[in-house]
Amino acid sequence: MSAIAPSPATVHYREAFERLHSVLGGAAARRAAAMERFAELGFPGAREEAWKYTSLRRLESRRFVPATPTTPPANVPAAFVAQRLVVANGSPVGTVPASLGGFALGTLATAPEEQLLRPLSGGGTERFAALNAALSAGPLLLSTTAGQQSDEVLQLTLITTGTGPTLASPRIAVRMATGSRARLLIDHVDDGAHEHFTNAVLDIELGAGAHLTLYRLQRQSERAFHIERIETRVDENATFVMRDSQLGAALARLDTNVSLDGRAAATEITGVFLADGSRHLDSHIHVGHHATGTTSLQDYRGIAANKGRGVFNGKAIVHEGAQKSNARQVNRNLLLTPGAEIDTKPDLEIYADDVQCSHGTTTGQLDPNALFYLRSRGLSEPEARSALTRAFAGAVLARVDEPALARHVHDELDRRLVRLLEVAA
Amino acid sequence: MLSIRDLHAQIGVRKILKGVNLEVKPGEVHAIMGPNGSGKSTLASVLAGRAGYEVTKGTVAYLGEDLLALEPEERARRGVFLAFQYPVEIPGVNNAYLLKAALNAVRKQRGLPELDAFEFLALIKDKMKLMQMDESFLSRGVNEGFSGGEKKRNEILQMSVLEPRLALLDETDSGLDIDALRVVATGVNSLRSPERAIVMVTHYQRLLDYIEPDFVHVLSDGRILRTGDKSLALELEKRGYDWVKQEASAA
Repeated sequence: MSAIAPSPATVHYREAFERLHSVLGGAAARRAAAMERFAELGFPGAREEAWKYTSLRRLESRRFVPATPTTPPANVPAAFVAQRLVVANGSPVGTVPASLGGFALGTLATAPEEQLLRPLSGGGTERFAALNAALSAGPLLLSTTAGQQSDEVLQLTLITTGTGPTLASPRIAVRMATGSRARLLIDHVDDGAHEHFTNAVLDIELGAGAHLTLYRLQRQSERAFHIERIETRVDENATFVMRDSQLGAALARLDTNVSLDGRAAATEITGVFLADGSRHLDSHIHVGHHATGTTSLQDYRGIAANKGRGVFNGKAIVHEGAQKSNARQVNRNLLLTPGAEIDTKPDLEIYADDVQCSHGTTTGQLDPNALFYLRSRGLSEPEARSALTRAFAGAVLARVDEPALARHVHDELDRRLVRLLEVAA
Repeated sequence: MLSIRDLHAQIGVRKILKGVNLEVKPGEVHAIMGPNGSGKSTLASVLAGRAGYEVTKGTVAYLGEDLLALEPEERARRGVFLAFQYPVEIPGVNNAYLLKAALNAVRKQRGLPELDAFEFLALIKDKMKLMQMDESFLSRGVNEGFSGGEKKRNEILQMSVLEPRLALLDETDSGLDIDALRVVATGVNSLRSPERAIVMVTHYQRLLDYIEPDFVHVLSDGRILRTGDKSLALELEKRGYDWVKQEASAA
């Protein structure tokens, strides 16, 4: 059997990696192994189940230049909260403080590489997680100490910027110690000057009884490619909460994998996506229930319009022995204009008998009776459609309990919906 | 104020209105009665501009304008108000937002300045009291989880806030117990005025005990067969609708 020749894109990144190797600052062997893994897996083929609705042909055809730590940041949007660190092209900007916003911060210079560049295996994005590990210019470690309670929010603004199409590989590892509590806000932006590619990884571990709320805002430009993997392990009695707003990029794929490893571990993943224009936004969630009494809730609201396309694939697996578990999935989708498309696949696999599981999926248009009701009270058609669309997303947005971020997401949805609906009306 | 001439309307190929004529002047209260399927609700829907009805013949003039050429929101802003037979539940859009947006849309049309939140609250407080509605209702979703009676009270509250020129009440009495009916009737009666006309569509005479009409029309099979004063309603209550049909076909 002859080996399949690596694709030109794979060769491009391997060669770039060989040139960059010396400036990437340590973990050489680990990075080389990750690069090998990427080359082995290559780009997904058309028949790969995990990429059924999302083609990476366009992404694969581009030759992005991997960013080096020296690239300076461009215009960085204002912070939502007081404590913020900017990460440009995967490297922290300026001196990394020892602690910020409830976390201790570490880099390759100060923290173990096996924590910062832990291999993440399985799933459709393993290849990209490996590429990220090989090329990540300045991985960050955020950690808490046992019992540490923080109500602050640490914001990381991850910006991709460059004078040509750039590949940024931001990587954040989060280690929540036993009984600690913290909040983290990740804001993905880019300079909009070129078709950049952001390939991000968040690698999170929650110790027993820990509690982490992760707010995520992806608002990259209409030219951006964005692939991200969020890997989370949750130990007993710990809770991982995620509030996602997937609003930007031309093509975005987010894999959120949560492994409920300890007894009574819990996760709540809610989010909204808005695929307008010709955006393609793909969210995959994979929750594994591995222990007794674990609970999960997935609630995503998707909106698509024009030539926009949304993909939602929510999976919960209740493994043998995970008795008394509770898995709930909700995915509601709204198609605002003809031609828009949302492909959704709720997926429950249950290998235990004493569990509570439910899933519900709907895809439809705005209720004509509700539209007429509002118009009969004097609201214009765009106003009525916008009010109903906001109401649709509102149930999920109401859970974003960081006020400045919530306001931004509301305003951004409003701005885009009104524009969209005025054109459509 | 409202002049309906030879109005024909259908849903798909099903003809429902077959030549309705009706004149409504300011200050008048009209009741349109008739058996189920006679076209009462269709008439209200066509006047309010609900989609799905095709007007094949006839005209409707409202304050000198061609009503049928206006979008539903344009009709509303010019003072046409439809109290729905089945008010729609809209979770996530709260009552205060809807009332304020609706009121400001109407005020803008009338050349009045928009109300801010304080002025708005002051205005609706008394009206809510009249309709026996608790203030907590303002922050709830439109009709969300409301009982049948609460929904109808909410319709009349909206009407009293918007102060329409022409109010259309579509089966407002249906599904109401006697106490709720009294509250609703009190709300409607408080809006009677020399400038305002009210057209009530109803199946039963009961509502007319509380809101006294100047004219009663019998609509049957898409046409107004008979017009009288409120004694006609009492006669209908006693004798049913069949004798009107028989007399009409004999004529």
